[in-house]
Amino acid sequence: MEDNFVQNIFFSPSKKETKTHDRIDKAKKGWDKTQQDTAERMAKARGFAKPGTKIVDEADCVALLEAVLRSGDKVNIEGDNQKQADFLAACLAKVDPSKVNNLHMVQSSLALQDHLNVFKKGIASKLDFCYSGPVAADLANMVTQGKISIGAIHTYVELYARTYLDLKPKVALVAANAADKYGNLYTGFNTEETPTVVEATKFRDGIVIAQVNEIVDKVPRVDIPGDWVDFVIPTTEPFYIEPLFTRDPAHITESQIFIGMMALMGIYSAYDIKALNHGIGFNTAAVELLLPTFGEEMGLKGKICSHWALNPHPTLIPAIESGWVDTIMPFGSEVGMENYIMSKPDIFPVGPDGTMRSNRVMGQLAGHYAIDAFFGSTLQIDQYGNSAAAVAGRIPGFGGAPNMACNAPGRKHATPGWLKASREDGMRKDLIGPIDRGRKLVIQMVETFGEGMAPVFVEKLDAFELQKQANFPIPPIMVYADNITHIVTEEGIAYVHKCKTLKERMDAIKAVAGYTTLGLAADDSATNKLRKEGIVALPEDLNLSFNDAKRSKLSAKSIADLVKWSGGLYDAPPRFRNW
Amino acid sequence: MRVEWKELQEKSFYQATARERAIGLVDEGTFREFLGPRDKMVSPHLIVLGEAVEFDDGITVGVGKIGAHPVFVVSQEGKFVGGALGEVNGAKMAYTFKLAMDCYEALKEKYGSVPEDRKPIVIVSYDSGGVRLHESNAGLVAHSECMEMFWKMQNKVPNISITASSIGAYGAQGFVCMSGDVVLANDYGRIGLTGPEVIQQEVGKDEFDASDRALIWRTMGARAKYIMGDVDFLLPDTIGAFREQVMQIAHMPMAEIAKYRHLGTPDLVEENLSVVKLAGEKGFNDSKDYWKYMGMKDVEDIPEMPQEKFLKIAKRRQRGI
Repeated sequence: MEDNFVQNIFFSPSKKETKTHDRIDKAKKGWDKTQQDTAERMAKARGFAKPGTKIVDEADCVALLEAVLRSGDKVNIEGDNQKQADFLAACLAKVDPSKVNNLHMVQSSLALQDHLNVFKKGIASKLDFCYSGPVAADLANMVTQGKISIGAIHTYVELYARTYLDLKPKVALVAANAADKYGNLYTGFNTEETPTVVEATKFRDGIVIAQVNEIVDKVPRVDIPGDWVDFVIPTTEPFYIEPLFTRDPAHITESQIFIGMMALMGIYSAYDIKALNHGIGFNTAAVELLLPTFGEEMGLKGKICSHWALNPHPTLIPAIESGWVDTIMPFGSEVGMENYIMSKPDIFPVGPDGTMRSNRVMGQLAGHYAIDAFFGSTLQIDQYGNSAAAVAGRIPGFGGAPNMACNAPGRKHATPGWLKASREDGMRKDLIGPIDRGRKLVIQMVETFGEGMAPVFVEKLDAFELQKQANFPIPPIMVYADNITHIVTEEGIAYVHKCKTLKERMDAIKAVAGYTTLGLAADDSATNKLRKEGIVALPEDLNLSFNDAKRSKLSAKSIADLVKWSGGLYDAPPRFRNW
Repeated sequence: MRVEWKELQEKSFYQATARERAIGLVDEGTFREFLGPRDKMVSPHLIVLGEAVEFDDGITVGVGKIGAHPVFVVSQEGKFVGGALGEVNGAKMAYTFKLAMDCYEALKEKYGSVPEDRKPIVIVSYDSGGVRLHESNAGLVAHSECMEMFWKMQNKVPNISITASSIGAYGAQGFVCMSGDVVLANDYGRIGLTGPEVIQQEVGKDEFDASDRALIWRTMGARAKYIMGDVDFLLPDTIGAFREQVMQIAHMPMAEIAKYRHLGTPDLVEENLSVVKLAGEKGFNDSKDYWKYMGMKDVEDIPEMPQEKFLKIAKRRQRGI
């Protein structure tokens, strides 16, 4: 009663406004086909919600999907390399393909069997995506069999961008920790891409359905406003999260420690790298664990590694506890790190409710523009320096790494390392003259032989074979050679950005390629010349010896050590425990 | 790389390589390796299959001393094919036991009876998933040879089992480990006949979730086995701590050591069956049920608490019927 009174006095439109609204409504005819279509679908679907709420029963989910979907729709199932709307994926795989078929899936990741089942059953036929890590081999098979037609393989922000232009989802299926009956969502630590997916859908008159771990009277904070959400479905099981960024220190080898030490001296310290991103490899995990020990011995504390575009890596706990870290901007969260994060609001983006909010787009943006260096790893590097994670018979996609493992040509703010890398650039002057342009450091840290003793350095990437197999317009290369500044192996560091010619660059790569076929072709005199010019640094040039690379240098040697460092606040996921 | 014995005493047993464990378990500078990597005795079967080989075939065997005791050490390397036993590393293991027996006989001949302070001792540091499937028949033969030697060594040469490395003692090595006279472990040690993944594969994830490592450790891990009486000594994770314990056992008379034995007599079979019967009667579904039955409180906290505290509150199964 009182509400209506207030509404009438303050918010009822004036006569003039009403008139304008009428004119807009008239002019809208013929320009609001999507709105009309959505309204039609919603008229049928709304009955599935409990009266006066947006809550739909788990058991009605498949029927709800059949009511809101039409054949040929673009559909986005939320999910990336961490968080998965797995219940909704399972339900989508159960809809009747005679009612709904030929969907065009626009989704960050293809990670679950149910994602594949949607295609196997003929419910969907086309796919635009970024990452397929766990099902890379199955995906390659289905592409060969013609069960999936791939539009393109993207990087995360690239696909998000397209969902706002030419890949607008009609229906989005997302995941949240909690919802209230009005559809307000709390997405918590693993907010990740939910806001981006919902916005792309809702502001194009699409339909948003959220699976939620629980219905509450009041959400701890509103991550997604309720009027952007059409249905919420409380599920028995919480949505799945993959602890992708947890590396067990027990598995770090002395060779990886050696690579880490070389990089710390030859790159991190040499370029004053304060703002950075790390990949998920063991080499970078080794660096994180070396900071409080070797890094401190070398007097690097306060000089490097203070600002991170990074997920909450458990291996960063000792560095955080030792006062190395100022700020971390994550893309997602990491399972088991929740309580630890809550205890460090100065470092992580913790909201007024006390829990963290991650944001994949903003994290990626920080990783593109605000960092000086990207340190990653890869499966293959070719003789020019191009690298790829795709090998024959597997289509793993790209994820978000290439958005960070690339120069940011639009960047305008200067930092010492960014300037230094550009001043050293051997080819810059020939292109733009003697201008301080700046350049992000992109570093590949690899052992010359990878898993199963497969050589990392190869003449030609498997990606080209895969391109032929799957008929892609371009080979699935993760990081192009012209973006790479440094390659670090157990043999030494190649400062490839300093090279003045492609020939020189190829010699520099050979010099650190060890006993691979490529490395065996290295010419000693060429290598020595490159060493003199500072383009190649061998361990002795950095005053380091493999005998110094001992596991005792790691500040934590096991998951249990990380738990200890965290004061018991890191709750290691069951699969990483050995107690 | 040179290995400093003194550093090894402080080093984590769990993280040490097989060779480091072998060197550190005996007195400083006394370890002599048999058929070391320089002898390049590799598995002929792996070569045929085009698999990578190791020059020591994933095992370090040799002899050292603790005081006047000749100590025969077998140390498995889990990092190579999961420490699994094949023809070469199996033969190295079995023949090390044979040398221990030969040593015993030689001492007996020399002194009339083996002097207490000189009795030979066998230590096996397990880190193996069982039989190496690439050469399974040879691996099985090696297991039976080991068991035969264990039988011969019984009541003559103390046989000390250690499970304190990443793979644990699984498959056929699970029963070989339990056939030792005394079983030593750190918190990470594991003993089992069937590995977690195989159990899950055979009877389903609902019965045993192999990705739930907390479940694995509270079922097959050292603390659970210590409570069950299958592990006799639970030790801190340093090589030095294990060496200390081995020294104490070495000082015990053989008859005393034999009392720890878990297998090999009709009485012990009865004892072990009584545990199975109890589990059936009480309907234990999880180790935690047994821990509660034994009268321990806060069973959730048992895997988490420091070892010292655990050793104080642990209520163990009474041995003997």
